[in-house]
Amino acid sequence: MPNTTAMLEAHHISKQFSGVSVLKAIDFALYAGQVHALLGGNGAGKSTLMKIFAGVETADSGELKVHGKAFGRLKPGQAHELGIYLVPQEPMLFPNLTVRENILFRLPRQSDIEKRLQEKMRQLECQIPLGATASTLEVADQQMVEILRGLMREAKILILDEPTASLTPGETERLFRQIRALQNLGVGIVFISHKLPEIRQIASHISVMRDGAVVLQGETAQLLDEQLINAMTPLDRKHTLSDTQKLWLALPGNRRTQPQDFPVLRVEELTGEGFIDLSFELYAGEIVGLAGLVGSGRTELAETLYGLRPVRGGRIYLENREISGDRTKSRLDRGLIYLPEDRQVSGLFLDAPIRWNTVALNEASVWQQSKREAAVVERYHRALGIKLNNAEQTVRTLSGGNQQKVLLARCLEANPLLLIIDEPTRGVDVAARADIYQLIKSVAAQNVAVLMISSDLDEFSGLADRVLVMHQGAMNGELRKPSITVESMMSMAFGGGKA
Amino acid sequence: MKKLLRNRELSALLAIVALFAVLVALNHSYFSLQTLSMIFTSAQILILLAVGATMVMLTRNIDVSVGSTVGLCAIAVGVALNSGYGLPAAMLFALLIGAIAGFFNGVLVVWLRIPAIVATLGTLGLYRGGMLLWTGGKWIEGLPASLKALSEPVAIGVSPLGFLVLIVVAIAAWMLARTAFGRDFYAVGDNLAAARQLGVAVNRTRLLAFTFNGMLAAIAGIIFASQIGFVPNQTGSGLEMKAIAACVLGGISLLGGTGTVIGAFLGAFFLTQIDTVLVLFKLPAWWNDFIAGLVLLGVLVLDGRLRQALARHQRAQKYSRFVPPLPGAKNVRQFPRKKKDVA
Repeated sequence: MPNTTAMLEAHHISKQFSGVSVLKAIDFALYAGQVHALLGGNGAGKSTLMKIFAGVETADSGELKVHGKAFGRLKPGQAHELGIYLVPQEPMLFPNLTVRENILFRLPRQSDIEKRLQEKMRQLECQIPLGATASTLEVADQQMVEILRGLMREAKILILDEPTASLTPGETERLFRQIRALQNLGVGIVFISHKLPEIRQIASHISVMRDGAVVLQGETAQLLDEQLINAMTPLDRKHTLSDTQKLWLALPGNRRTQPQDFPVLRVEELTGEGFIDLSFELYAGEIVGLAGLVGSGRTELAETLYGLRPVRGGRIYLENREISGDRTKSRLDRGLIYLPEDRQVSGLFLDAPIRWNTVALNEASVWQQSKREAAVVERYHRALGIKLNNAEQTVRTLSGGNQQKVLLARCLEANPLLLIIDEPTRGVDVAARADIYQLIKSVAAQNVAVLMISSDLDEFSGLADRVLVMHQGAMNGELRKPSITVESMMSMAFGGGKA
Repeated sequence: MKKLLRNRELSALLAIVALFAVLVALNHSYFSLQTLSMIFTSAQILILLAVGATMVMLTRNIDVSVGSTVGLCAIAVGVALNSGYGLPAAMLFALLIGAIAGFFNGVLVVWLRIPAIVATLGTLGLYRGGMLLWTGGKWIEGLPASLKALSEPVAIGVSPLGFLVLIVVAIAAWMLARTAFGRDFYAVGDNLAAARQLGVAVNRTRLLAFTFNGMLAAIAGIIFASQIGFVPNQTGSGLEMKAIAACVLGGISLLGGTGTVIGAFLGAFFLTQIDTVLVLFKLPAWWNDFIAGLVLLGVLVLDGRLRQALARHQRAQKYSRFVPPLPGAKNVRQFPRKKKDVA
């Protein structure tokens, strides 16, 4: 270690939220030039700890030392002066300000700042229009703006909370180059991610958190993947669903189904906003992956199938009946369910109870039936392992992964015939991911057709029966089960042939 | 066309020019600087309130108590003058009262976390009641000539207080548009959590917005006393809604984070201009509110339509590459066409 005093030192930090302790006597130290990866399940307390470091939250007890100086109550302004900058998990932009204003917000005026910004953008090869208002950006671009904001601050301690969640592999690689450059300048970096290969690539040290405590800490080279996953996974949980869980997951028997290999969805020469001339079929009981770079028209296609965007040409058939002109409500009634990409904005009612959110697509009568609905929540609570206190809790109080599970529960409760899921594992930890994969498989096994969009191409090889790859709005090809590899998907996503 | 949409101030200015043109077309003798300065004179109070409301609305709050604050401060300046204090002392006293009233609103909203509309609805009654208790319900009359002299025209038909209003608008516009401090107001209203995390003193900013608003209402109260020469006990009632309407006309979003002081200024000017034009046309006074409401709605509906048209156009352009392969085929759906010139 070149410098023996830690830049950031946490000692016995504890924090409670409404009686539940989320952090239990955390010890953590970050040294100059270190990339310290923080791993852990959703709700393990990583984000809370980071917020305490950035002064956004205050610890109930414990000691926080920055550059060797103790701070009892760190304020966000102070943290900034000390050079701590947090890039949060969910992008926090000012929607009405331009991208430039967002990035340079509160930075002292310097003559060369524009040049530095241009240079950073060139190094990251990102092409976000600086004059556009932030509200027009897509999630991935918003994340990029957040990262640029962090890089422009010249922070001494940079905290990156899942920065790569919605970046493409190329962007991730360029970000890592920046991180290494900062590391050489002696910047201390805390890096939160759920992707183990990434962490192996970039981090020098790893801490694993579980249920508000640090359970494993050490140098990256000394730790095995097995150890890390074991440390993250709660002791009472395995990676496959138990038989009782599967039982809880059984969809209602009286729902309409189609026999396996029945073409549930047929799309003919479909053109819409962001894609052109697509034709494909989806069969009951199969999982089809939809791969492509951000901006290749994947999400637009899903939204058009669901009826959120207009069809400009071509037809969509659901169970051999044309639905191109139907409204979303009637598509829903016919069993076409869509799980949106951005759970915070277009998915959940954050201030409503879990109960409402779960049954939102499927209310049996005019009246609310709290008992029946609570029973539904209880069923998914057991089946998906949603961490909750009771069904009346507001969704905002849940952690990211649990929110995603509530959203999944809602889609399953709507009796899907075709389930379209857009980035179901974005911001979800390893253990919960495995749950969600199992869940998708068990849904498909019940003769539901699943169309899954994901930027994490690793997911498809184990899960999908077929993968459709899009490139700039056009279908660039299809891969079938044994030949689904990350390399061939990547090369096709960039417009090439099968690798 | 695009510039017009991106610039709400410009469309407010055009509305003002158009209304002025109508006035002149119907009676050529009104084509003079005098008409403008006359409208400005009657708009001064509303302009100040609109500027204050801008600051509060930018931080995603609202203040519906300013009408009462205007009354309270008008009373304060009147009482101080009538009990023998000098003009500067009386005006400072009124400013102080306004600042306290605004700060109290801020305390309720920021520290006690009462939603702004409810909190200021409470203080709307509280300040009005305080004003009535103070005077025992009586009007304040016999204000000294020195106060009234402040609203006599000195140059190009504008009074000293009129120039003060212009200076205040200029300072507020400069502060909000150019300084980092002003940028904080936008940031707080746009995304409170992000502003806090980037080290903005969010509570201080919101408290200051309310306090500035109270002080601007105090100046409005002084202008009222000076222009009218006496202070009735219903002074300022109803002004709060007009101020908010002026802001909305000028493009300040109720959801916070967008709008400029210039927009608020023009919106307030336009609202007053409607009243004045109706007076000049000798329409009965009871038409005023009706027509003002109609115009307000008309402008907002038109603006909304234009914005939709623009959004449609942008969308069509963004996806212009994706045209169906067989144009003219039976199954091709036409993309909704952009309506040209809804105006």
